[in-house]
Amino acid sequence: MADEHSEELSEFIDTLLEGGRPAPDGLVGDEAPVARLAAELSAAGDPARGEPDPAFVEQLRLRMRDADAGISSVQGWTLPAGAQLRRIRLTRRDLLRVGLGAAAGLAAGAGAISILRPTRTPLGGNGRPLVGDGEWVAVATLADLPEGAAVRFSTVAFDGYVVNDAGTIRALSSVCTHMGCTLAYRPEWQDLRCPCHGASFNLAGELANGSEGWSSGSGYRGDTKAYPIDLPPLVRPQVKVSGQTVLVWTAKA
Amino acid sequence: MATADHPHARFEAIYDQHVTPIHRFIYARVGNRPDAEDLTGQVFMRAVEQLDVDRPAAQISAWLYRVAQNAVADYWRAFYRLPQIGVEQVAGAWEPVTPTPDPNADADAERAATAVRRLLKGLPEQYARVLELRFLQRLSVAETAGRMGISHGNAKVLQYRALRKAALLVEADG
Repeated sequence: MADEHSEELSEFIDTLLEGGRPAPDGLVGDEAPVARLAAELSAAGDPARGEPDPAFVEQLRLRMRDADAGISSVQGWTLPAGAQLRRIRLTRRDLLRVGLGAAAGLAAGAGAISILRPTRTPLGGNGRPLVGDGEWVAVATLADLPEGAAVRFSTVAFDGYVVNDAGTIRALSSVCTHMGCTLAYRPEWQDLRCPCHGASFNLAGELANGSEGWSSGSGYRGDTKAYPIDLPPLVRPQVKVSGQTVLVWTAKA
Repeated sequence: MATADHPHARFEAIYDQHVTPIHRFIYARVGNRPDAEDLTGQVFMRAVEQLDVDRPAAQISAWLYRVAQNAVADYWRAFYRLPQIGVEQVAGAWEPVTPTPDPNADADAERAATAVRRLLKGLPEQYARVLELRFLQRLSVAETAGRMGISHGNAKVLQYRALRKAALLVEADG
């Protein structure tokens, strides 16, 4: 009797020891204290000793700065003046939207403030340039991009993928719109997957495993539940093809 | 210009000082990074809203640890329907809640390791061995079975029995 245990508990332990986030669902009866002890034992045996990931520490710092800036304006704290003030008001999302180059230009007082105006719809998706003061940068050739392929690119201001989505060439930011982790392309699923919390974006740049699609369909790609947050789509800079070359419009260095 | 006295700067100094020990504290109790990061995020996002940075350092530490402790308790209660008291029975025995963060990772880990050794010592030899191989040496079930000269299925059952027995010991200890 005492030997009976659920497959879920075995999976819980395996996931734990592989460093993943175990699913709490399906544990039966008195297995919860066992699962918790397994979690604590696993932590005790962790070679990294629970040291936080430096990337996580910096992402959380940015989130807190955003929140802190919001509270400051409500409470009327004295904010630093001038460029300092503007930089504090810049949110992480603004930075992601326009590319770091443009943001740096703003902080330096380059007069590009209009592109940073908060907006509900992502910029750059409708064939409009993502940034005014930009340039075309060659990032791939058509030969690199058969249907269903994706090529990672990196410019001074922007990291992303160019993809061939059933014949449409598109440029997508590789930065997850949740907390800024770098997305990985999964050819077998035709999506960009976030390693941090498992958000998946389709090749149009939209969240593919959100609750909306979940309630209407049959779930997503073996995920056990819908992504809990409704994330905005990925930034999509303008893209053009000249001869065999794929170019992306991006902020100037 | 922001000075060291500015609330933003003071808050970031608090963050820099505490983010590692708080993450470690939470990780030791949930055992996986994704959840530890989520809960650590909750603690500091709440701190942004509610923490009074003008308080003395010891009170700030105590506040952060209390919020972290509550976050962990909520985690186990919500996901696994465990009563809050159980968390302290288990975790408290290993790593007492300190009002001041311990910047020394080795001391923290040493404390946890000692508690684990004590726990394993109280178990039958085969139980201690399977937990040692699986959780401390991080071998797979198959490797563990190979080392112990038992079948894959037996290793799984043994692992389960050992965890169960250990959980009972911890509960009795608490």
